[in-house]
Amino acid sequence: MIPAPGEGWARLDPRKLLLDPVKAIGQAIVPVVVAVVGISRSDTRFWPLVLPLVVLGPIILGALPWLTTHYRITDSQIQVRSGVLNKRTSTAPLDRVRSVDLEASLLHRVLGLQKVQVGTGVDDDRITLDALARADAHALRTTLLRRRETTDVRPTDLDPAEPHAPVAPSAPASVLLARIDWSWLRFAPFSLARLVLLAGAVGVVAQFGDDLPIWNQETATSAWEWVTQFALVAVALALAVGGLALWLVVSVTGYVVQWWGFRLVREHGSLHLSSGLFTTRSITVEEAKVRGVEMVEPVLLRVVGGAEMSTLATGVEDGVTQVLPPCPREVAVGVGGAVLGETGALTAPLVAHGPRAHRRAWFRQLRTALEVLVAAAVAWWFADLSWAWFAALAVALPVVAAAVGEASYRHLGHALLDRHLVAGGGTLARVRTVLETDGIIGWVVSQSWWQRRIGLADLTATTAAGTERVLVRDVRLEVAVALADRATPGMLTPFVEQGA
Amino acid sequence: MSDVGAGPAVPVLREPAHRVSPRAIGFWTVSALLGDAAVVVAALVAWLVVPDVPGWAGLVVLLLGLLAAAHVVLMPRIRYRVHRWEVTDTAVHTRAGWLGRESRIAPLSRVQTVDSRQGALMRVFGLASITVTTASAAGPITVDCLDAATAREVVARLTAITSATAGDAT
Repeated sequence: MIPAPGEGWARLDPRKLLLDPVKAIGQAIVPVVVAVVGISRSDTRFWPLVLPLVVLGPIILGALPWLTTHYRITDSQIQVRSGVLNKRTSTAPLDRVRSVDLEASLLHRVLGLQKVQVGTGVDDDRITLDALARADAHALRTTLLRRRETTDVRPTDLDPAEPHAPVAPSAPASVLLARIDWSWLRFAPFSLARLVLLAGAVGVVAQFGDDLPIWNQETATSAWEWVTQFALVAVALALAVGGLALWLVVSVTGYVVQWWGFRLVREHGSLHLSSGLFTTRSITVEEAKVRGVEMVEPVLLRVVGGAEMSTLATGVEDGVTQVLPPCPREVAVGVGGAVLGETGALTAPLVAHGPRAHRRAWFRQLRTALEVLVAAAVAWWFADLSWAWFAALAVALPVVAAAVGEASYRHLGHALLDRHLVAGGGTLARVRTVLETDGIIGWVVSQSWWQRRIGLADLTATTAAGTERVLVRDVRLEVAVALADRATPGMLTPFVEQGA
Repeated sequence: MSDVGAGPAVPVLREPAHRVSPRAIGFWTVSALLGDAAVVVAALVAWLVVPDVPGWAGLVVLLLGLLAAAHVVLMPRIRYRVHRWEVTDTAVHTRAGWLGRESRIAPLSRVQTVDSRQGALMRVFGLASITVTTASAAGPITVDCLDAATAREVVARLTAITSATAGDAT
């Protein structure tokens, strides 16, 4: 049972008494074993002294937090009191509660417990209750979020025009926005986020690679040279196939572990995400704090029609929260539209930035290629490498650069909808950032010397949400000013003149 | 140009009303001189000390010296013409840069802190800088090299306006 408002102090769940000793034993097992073995060798007289210590130590350690931690909900606050010698009381006003996140490790789940973290959005200091019974944790979350909803009286947060805004206090219980569809598993191998993991594993394998006979110089130069040459090709092939198979296993396993039981629900004016096979995560983001979304289509994922989606929120430690696994683009677009309350922001055609921006996109990539080429030339000069490598590089790099430049121009663009600014960008990945125009708290118009030559500018909308900036790159200066002026009516008015 | 215009009346960002203090030219010249002289002297010493340098190395050092001289002479003057600022009752607007340009605008209702800063060299020239921050890490607006007295007035005014605004400015 969680305490009703106004009631006295409540304790954490009694199963906490099991949780902590098991954890403590897990952490202390090595030193304890070492100590026990060491002592038993030297002298047996200490046994009556040591044994109770070993057995009772973890139990006392585990019991202390349970004995000393209390929490209660008053009419206006949630309070948590903890500590043995240094008493510590954390309080959060109920109307400031921005997020209530639930998390359960495997051990928590075996015991039917959950860790509750209450965020107030003011700073990184969150109130943690570790642990409550699962039902109590959910009840507490509902109580806190519903309470905030009814106490929230700021009129700006309750926009009647917003079709998806829940109408307090008789809000619909919950609306399911998305849930895991295992056909999405096909996107797992095309999402390279987990490649780092695999690269690490390959690094470990490579450590042993030196011992394999195929890399042995003597074997290669022996009469069996042609055999090993042939074998090298076979080995390379086998490695490629093996690597691919390994990648399939790692990526699919990772996807399943991370997104098992994924649900994205809108309830009590919050977005609520839960997923995880072993450790279950449960993240809650208050919708009034969500200022926009970002849809990313990494190059491989785009080939198979997949996308990833994050929300941009203010007052959360990390303003960018991934709310969907790699999934079909249509699903991301649908969920994004529901979150934004304005459909079309993720599908609306973007205003192209014109031929000068096109040239600049090419130029930017070619310049990078040129820099790499110069570095390669210097290396070639000093290291006495073969001509062929340099020539191949000199041909390949500009071609790659041109392709990347063309791709980055295709992604470039902007749009202004009723309530949202849309910026398209990214080089290899296609990124579409949608920001609520109400969330824009300033503008930066910057021009490098090169951009000034051709009348282009980078327009940055500054915001408190997400990565705190939305960049519209290489747009014509007058279009940039007009866009900023229309997106935030009045903000630029004192500084804008109507030119010819 | 072949691009289609945005309409008959094209909005143009006008330049902010005020220049920075004329003494900023002196300040920028001295700081550029200190920075550039260190590089040029280091290059010169390297050229003199290292034995058997190829002939073109001297040219490089000479070129470096000329570039530094041009930088010291031209940069402060161009900067002075570019740098501008303005604080209205509703917003703050600045323009900065010398080769590039950067215009920043933030409404005062979104301003969170107003800081002023005066380095040792700035104090010699009687200058001060003001930084206005918003809730966005991308949004701080700095007005460099104001007359110290002007800076104090502006800070007082900004503080008065922003403290009168309610809300959490996000």
